[in-house]
Amino acid sequence: MIQSLILSTLMFGAMFSVLTVSLNLQYARGGMINFGTVAYFAAGAYAYAIFTQEPPSGLDQYAFGFDLPWWAGFLAAGVAAMAFALLTGWPTLRLRGEYLALTTFAFAEVLHSVLLNERRIGNGSVGMANVERPDPAALGLDDTLAYAAAACLLMLATAWLFRRLLASPYGRLVDATRDDETAAESVGKDTARVRLQIFVISAIPIGFAGALYAMITTLVAPALFTAEVTFFVWIALALGGERTITGAILGTMALVFFQELVRIIPFETVRGAQVAASVEEVITGILFILVLRWQPWARLARRAGA
Amino acid sequence: MTLFFQFVLTGLVTGCFLILATIGFSFTRRVEGFLNIAHAELLGVSAFATWGCNKLLGWHILPSAAVGILVTAFAGLAIGRIVYDPIRKHGPSVMLITSVGVAYVIGGTIDALIGTGIRTLDIPLATSYRFWGLRITDYQMMVVALAILAAGSLALFLNHTRTGLAIRAMSANPELAASRGIDVQKTSRATWLISSGLAGLAGVMLGVIATLSTDIAFHQILQILAVAILAGLGSLYAVILSGLIVGVAMDVSVFWIPAGYRPLVAFAVVILVLLFRPQGIAGSASGK
Repeated sequence: MIQSLILSTLMFGAMFSVLTVSLNLQYARGGMINFGTVAYFAAGAYAYAIFTQEPPSGLDQYAFGFDLPWWAGFLAAGVAAMAFALLTGWPTLRLRGEYLALTTFAFAEVLHSVLLNERRIGNGSVGMANVERPDPAALGLDDTLAYAAAACLLMLATAWLFRRLLASPYGRLVDATRDDETAAESVGKDTARVRLQIFVISAIPIGFAGALYAMITTLVAPALFTAEVTFFVWIALALGGERTITGAILGTMALVFFQELVRIIPFETVRGAQVAASVEEVITGILFILVLRWQPWARLARRAGA
Repeated sequence: MTLFFQFVLTGLVTGCFLILATIGFSFTRRVEGFLNIAHAELLGVSAFATWGCNKLLGWHILPSAAVGILVTAFAGLAIGRIVYDPIRKHGPSVMLITSVGVAYVIGGTIDALIGTGIRTLDIPLATSYRFWGLRITDYQMMVVALAILAAGSLALFLNHTRTGLAIRAMSANPELAASRGIDVQKTSRATWLISSGLAGLAGVMLGVIATLSTDIAFHQILQILAVAILAGLGSLYAVILSGLIVGVAMDVSVFWIPAGYRPLVAFAVVILVLLFRPQGIAGSASGK
């Protein structure tokens, strides 16, 4: 039981870490509040499902199923998230602060509503079940173990790439854009372009994570991609302390571990499980408020620096 | 054609409800300077407090509603004092993100106490009236009347009372207001009471015109945000106008496209507006 707890924490923790790390790039480095993270995640998951699913038959209502191998679907997921980021980022990135937060939130809700109501995309509210996925058993590997490893791999690759990117001269340009746009513009940098680039680049791993999520759950349905995912990632980011990749990953792992821990407590009644889920929500909220109020990580970092 | 006008009429009622729900949100935004995502959860607090008095304790709806509104007003005040006041120095982004945490806490508490399932208030069934072939129920008329009353009295309060003028001064320029001898603490407290009380009123209306479930509050935030962005987070009159626009747009859209797209229509309006007028329909350049 302990082993399965650790494995599922690693699997989901690493997968959501990809989202947190990307969000960290957008918010802490790029200064953009993206409150529609789930949309890019959903775009990836749906793209993966549509590319790998067999053509529709019987009761299926979706219009397209390309029946391609998993790696094609995986690539499509990244492309879909990137395309959606271009589509939503181009008109909205000239907005600032809370306006950007609200518009990205609105776009995510629009996508959710389309997925829910337009049955030709992915069977509407029913979603697409039995999503194709590579079978680790063919390599003689345990299922959960293999996917946990895949999630960790994706997370490490994302973290490494972002770190390289931000350590480069380009990273300094990103910081300059965030801290003082006028100054950056006055030395001839196109800040609007930098913001869009960061927005699009950070959406790609989110799309890949979406594909991985579709493989792990073998189901894509609108109910899996609600604003709660966005809020979850934001809470994880705040928990881990902004501005560092390690912090983002640790915060996500801690939050996922906490949730998985509540999930394995056996309950006698449905009501008991319900209460536990609500209490978990309350505690998550309180943690979030406390961390944002006292910002312990910022303080620790200051002390270490002094 | 009658059907079309019926949708317009229902849309106006929806709009009036949205006005009630958004006034408090917009008010907080103006005075406290941040978007309070947890505002919608206050509607849930009020709706379920009213339901508890009405259904569990067997009270009449009027005292129950009064208790619901009072509980919500003071809950909002307490949250403002305990949670938001200490973090004001961190700026509006941190306050916005914190309010998500507050929404989690309130939502989780309601879930834990009430549980899932659909609930209704113990009130007489709605009576339907017909005017020129258009139907409207007495409860719907009540929503319209209350929206007019609430908006009207808020406008009077802000323009003609000492506290109201103090609130407006504070929302325009906090430092100047404080240096001119306005009690910032007291004014902030009054703001929380009023905006939460308005959320309480909207929550009671929600209980009267709809069935209650614990996730109901969360669905309201989407529409509240839509109205608030459209209004440009600006004046009271802009909120009234955009509430009606969003309400009518959502309900009339049902005439052509499936009802499931209602929220999408609300946000499509918002996105269109933001693309052409990033400051909202009535916002000024200073509505940062």
